[in-house]
Amino acid sequence: MSKKKVGDIDDSLKELTKKIDNVKKENINKSSKYQNKQFSGFSHAFKIVSDLFANILVGGAIGWTLDYYFNTKPILLIIFLIIGFISGIYTSYKSTKKLQNIE
Amino acid sequence: MTEKHSPLDQFTIQRIFEMKIGNIDISLTNSSLMMIAVLLILNVFLIYATKKKSVVPGRLQSIAEMSYEMIYNTTQSNLGNDGKRLFPLVYTLFMFILLCNMLGLIPYSFTVTSHIIITFALAFGVFLLATILGFVLHGHKYLRLFLPKGVPIFLIPILVPIEIVSYISRPISLAVRLAANMMAGHTIIKVFASFVVVLGIWGIAPLLFIVVLYVLETLIAFLQAYVFAVLTCLYISDSFHPEH
Repeated sequence: MSKKKVGDIDDSLKELTKKIDNVKKENINKSSKYQNKQFSGFSHAFKIVSDLFANILVGGAIGWTLDYYFNTKPILLIIFLIIGFISGIYTSYKSTKKLQNIE
Repeated sequence: MTEKHSPLDQFTIQRIFEMKIGNIDISLTNSSLMMIAVLLILNVFLIYATKKKSVVPGRLQSIAEMSYEMIYNTTQSNLGNDGKRLFPLVYTLFMFILLCNMLGLIPYSFTVTSHIIITFALAFGVFLLATILGFVLHGHKYLRLFLPKGVPIFLIPILVPIEIVSYISRPISLAVRLAANMMAGHTIIKVFASFVVVLGIWGIAPLLFIVVLYVLETLIAFLQAYVFAVLTCLYISDSFHPEH
């Protein structure tokens, strides 16, 4: 009689542990998803703005440096500025695509 | 009456205590003083907040735990299990930048992160780490990062320079974003503060505006630190998995 009771309690305890674990898991998932959604829009906007700027800057810098060493004054600067512009848009396109995949 | 005060005055670096080793100037400036203060506050706060380790956290402990959990979740979702090893780095970066931004909002203090050289040093450290980690983990295969899979041959000469430029621009983008946001916000506040003096009784309008702006600045201070941490995770995750 008493043994059966102990078994019952054990079973229900196990069930309870399972339930608690499930709830915990759900909560963790929920909270991280919520956080990511809440901030990812902001951070993405900031990222795109500075990416567009930085890519053009880096393209220009590379072009100017190569021009300086090869003595081909404006040609490489122009080419790399265009490459920088393209890569700025390409980078923001890629990160936007990634963001869409997450959502 | 106010011509002599430029809104950019707040960003000038002043030597507080002059020191020199040979020709190298290592004076204690207001910038480095601020950074030392940030590190001290950070350490004292975190050690004190987690001293009690009570099950039901108090105010300080829950701030410490919340920041820890937030960055832990971010590293976990961006880096997976590899992220555990790099979590201390990301957390340190986040807390340092967050506190620099927040302490900079106090009037008469100095915003360390408004100087691009400091944010660039942080960003370049992350960039170096990601690059070295990539080459250590993958060897020369890490260069596959610049050549996405399934690209037609005639596109390679165009796509590879684009990828290289976008890779190099990462630390600059990180540095510029943080520094520009901090500097722009502080300059705007200072400009509107000068309107308050000039407009006399009507100065109450810009004053109210400054109050609202301060809230926005606090949000941006937090957000920029968070963005820095998230992008650090993203860039490092590329060195774990170069072929997306």
